[in-house]
Amino acid sequence: MKPLMLHGHERAITQIKYNREGDLLFSSAKDHSPNVWYSLNGERLGTFNGHSGAVWTLDIDWQTRFFMSGAADFTLRIWDCSTGTQLGNIVTRSSVRTCAFSYSGNMAVFTTDKAMGHPCEIFVVDTRNIDSSFSDNDPIMRIPISDSKVTSILWGALDETILTGHEDGTVKIWDLQSGKELAKAREHTNSVNDMQMNKDQSMFITASKDNTARLFDANNLMALKVYKTERPVNSAAISPILDHVVLGGGQEAMDVTTTSTRIGKFDSRFFHLVFEEEFGRVKGHFGPINSVAFHPDGKSYSSGGEDGYVRVHTFDQSYYEFNFDY
Amino acid sequence: MGKKKEGDKSPRNFENNRFNRSESYGDDEPNFSDEENFEDTITDEELLAEFLIHRPREEDSYEGIIVVDGAPQVGPERLEKLKGVIKKMYGKFGTIINEFYPTDEKNVTKGFIFLEYKNPSDAVDAVNATNNYKLDKQHTFLVNHYSDFEKYSNIPDEWTVPEPQEYKDQGNLHYYLLDPDAYDQYCLICSGGSTVQIWQNAAPEPTVVEERPNWTETYVRWSPLGTYMATFHARGVALWGGPKFKQIMRFSHTGVQLIDFSPCERYLVTYSPDGPSDQRRVIIWDVRTGAEKRSFSLDGVSLWPVFRWSPDDKFFARIGQDVLSVYETPSFGLLDKRSIKIPGIRDFAWSPTDNILVYWVAEDKDVPARVCLLEIPSRQEVRANNLFNVADCKIHWQKSGDYLCVKVDRYSKVKKEKNDAKYSVSFCGMYYNFEIFHMREKLIPVDSVEIKEPIHAFAWEPVGSKFAIIHGDQHSINVSFYGVKQGQPPSLLKKFEKRQCNHLFWSPTGQFIVLAGLRSMHGSLEFIDTNEFVVMNAGEHYTASDVEWDPTGRYVVTGVSSWKQKVDNGFWLWSFQGKKLKKHNIDGFCQLMWRPRPPSLLSAKQQKEIKKNLKKYTPQFESKDRMRSTRASKELIEKRCQLMKTFEEYRQKNIQAWNEAKTRRLELRNNVDTDELESDTKNVEEEEIEFLVKEEHTVIEE
Repeated sequence: MKPLMLHGHERAITQIKYNREGDLLFSSAKDHSPNVWYSLNGERLGTFNGHSGAVWTLDIDWQTRFFMSGAADFTLRIWDCSTGTQLGNIVTRSSVRTCAFSYSGNMAVFTTDKAMGHPCEIFVVDTRNIDSSFSDNDPIMRIPISDSKVTSILWGALDETILTGHEDGTVKIWDLQSGKELAKAREHTNSVNDMQMNKDQSMFITASKDNTARLFDANNLMALKVYKTERPVNSAAISPILDHVVLGGGQEAMDVTTTSTRIGKFDSRFFHLVFEEEFGRVKGHFGPINSVAFHPDGKSYSSGGEDGYVRVHTFDQSYYEFNFDY
Repeated sequence: MGKKKEGDKSPRNFENNRFNRSESYGDDEPNFSDEENFEDTITDEELLAEFLIHRPREEDSYEGIIVVDGAPQVGPERLEKLKGVIKKMYGKFGTIINEFYPTDEKNVTKGFIFLEYKNPSDAVDAVNATNNYKLDKQHTFLVNHYSDFEKYSNIPDEWTVPEPQEYKDQGNLHYYLLDPDAYDQYCLICSGGSTVQIWQNAAPEPTVVEERPNWTETYVRWSPLGTYMATFHARGVALWGGPKFKQIMRFSHTGVQLIDFSPCERYLVTYSPDGPSDQRRVIIWDVRTGAEKRSFSLDGVSLWPVFRWSPDDKFFARIGQDVLSVYETPSFGLLDKRSIKIPGIRDFAWSPTDNILVYWVAEDKDVPARVCLLEIPSRQEVRANNLFNVADCKIHWQKSGDYLCVKVDRYSKVKKEKNDAKYSVSFCGMYYNFEIFHMREKLIPVDSVEIKEPIHAFAWEPVGSKFAIIHGDQHSINVSFYGVKQGQPPSLLKKFEKRQCNHLFWSPTGQFIVLAGLRSMHGSLEFIDTNEFVVMNAGEHYTASDVEWDPTGRYVVTGVSSWKQKVDNGFWLWSFQGKKLKKHNIDGFCQLMWRPRPPSLLSAKQQKEIKKNLKKYTPQFESKDRMRSTRASKELIEKRCQLMKTFEEYRQKNIQAWNEAKTRRLELRNNVDTDELESDTKNVEEEEIEFLVKEEHTVIEE
């Protein structure tokens, strides 16, 4: 089927996410206004206006009440999803790189960049009541990161741990009670650009600049699988219904000398989760893909690219009919 | 250093040890002395190696002394004069601190003189410069180092037969030809040039034979028959071979950059642009003994190989200014002791099968350009062809030596107009001639094919009588195939129009050809059977830079080398019909080189016989292929089965944990079940969404 092309951003898409039900699709970009769309027809529902810098990260709580965005204007903002009004605003000392609501939605975690003498830090904040006092409340926890900065983040199962992916390729697991590092894994050799959980939150997939994506156990960081490509991988997602993963990436725009889309390989690539074999590609973007996401029903997926477009693809019947022999 | 001192002192201090120890009881100073029955096992060499190098040696004092023999024998009255001459001559090499003129009982000098230089290196210079120096008609100096006395006095008076060297078994150097399926080996340079791997091609998966990091410093070369692999090092070239790729021979040539094997692998030519002196830029070696056969000091080698070999290794030739120098082996001297004078010679090439070479001479005023066939060693001109308006010639021998094609670039009529007694010359474009020499026919008849369009490539079918040409303007590139028959001019067999290609790659066994559009043409490939001229398959290896046929003509490799571009490096394996068999994407892949095969031992008649009875053999190979492919797919399925089983075992544990944690999940989300999309039905709101179904434009009013 012809994909829906969502053109509501003027600059490169940084992250896209579905809400839990999958009826809405949220997108952030290097322009200053995140968007929300109906995932079914691609109609834009609204924008969240207020940031004054590139929006690096976004998240939605499980009830689709709050929308959270972190930006290069040194703020983390929480918005009312239904009205688009800003409810809370935390001012930080450097860019907000990642953010995520917890499973319960009672807490949120975000990280800031190492910049201008300030270290990279992980903050955990209470999000039960979001009002004017939100910005003044002290965070529940604050973990300074002295070595490589955090480039992606996830909550562990049952809100007990936090998983972080780092610029040097390490993946770490943190205990929320003590704030201590529980375990780490160094499988990637370059920046971990994205991490996404599978449906039951027991495994997660990492996307790395080292041209691979890897599957890890979410409890003990055991390396399970590796998916190899020839280009940096910016984002990866696991299908909620089939043993499939999708990878998005491509030659970095700054490295492309001849800006041919062929040499850049800006395709979404589909791999079998278990066999690590590539079985399909979806072309379309004319810049690297920065974020991919599966619809929670597994029947469509979206990709957001450096070209500023979000493309919503609904799978054809042949996608479900294809099977690996084993 | 601390340890050294202690070891050095210990023997001397041995006597005092007891005394030291008793004293050291008094205070807490640690005791460094040796145990009572300590034996010093460390030798001076181990401890003081760097100092011992400078230890004075006996011969040091002799090193500055030289003996000048063959000097005039003079009486005391003329001694001063002789001394003057000697001092003047030898003083210029350095300071002479001692001189001695031995005399007999009549005070006449004995004809030899001892001189001692302050600096031994001056003595070396003096010996090198004045040995065999002719003082006058009767006297020639024979100058030696005094330290050489021992060396020369030890030479036995009687010549003894040298001991034959023990025969070193190198194993079967041709073992790789014994592969039952005749799969070829190939050499891979990867990791950006630092690693060399040898692979054995096989279906479905190739296997590594040998892998060595830093095997070579630049690149590697197979010898023409595939027996040896040559690697390059700062100090020279090494040859490897046999089942384990042992080192077989080493040729020491500092800074070697280029090498060339003779066709039968008997000799190796090495070239180094820099060296200690201008001499020995090019060295010719015997491959089997490792002996240096001859060296040349050529300045500025512009064309490699400088020396071109006759097909049987008997002769090699080099082009010079208006001469062609033919040398013969094994004497390595000029053939008939003189070069062949050919004024205006531009290029030459040996026939791949016969001792005939072809050269061409450029046009000079009213003398036409000439293409000549010369038989060696008789120097007989067997055929010559005169040509006009020649800009350039390219020589293409067919691999079997049956035909020769000389591609002649010609400019159309030169218009000469007399303007103020000056000639103004205008060229009216280029056209191209292909002069085809029928080598196997009587008197070697020559035919000509003319093409008016620019030529991009030319290639002979290695076995057979066809040749292919890529010609045409940038936007309409055509490929033409011509056939040559005995006693007939070449005829156009087929013309493929508007193709994307710039290179031609014939299968080594003929008949099949790959048209490739390398680099700027995105790596498009066409596989053509020239029996019926059908395109069997077309493919593409984006940005491919190389195409290599395997020596049996069954496989084609296309590669993207990291020497040319840094992304998407790797090579793909295709069947000769153009079926993509395998992609090997390797970061830092540089080059793939198939190991050459020597020519078949079967006679032409036997080969023809096999071709005729091909039907008899095909079923047996087909069944083999079928078995292999079913085995391969079975293996793959088994592997997947195994993977799925282990993964599902792992998943079972996780699913169990997930089910157990259900109550906790419900707690966290206010008792709303969100495990499945449809599980929470209470909080669902219907929302209507509109789809754009159709767009219609209706003009309401003009």
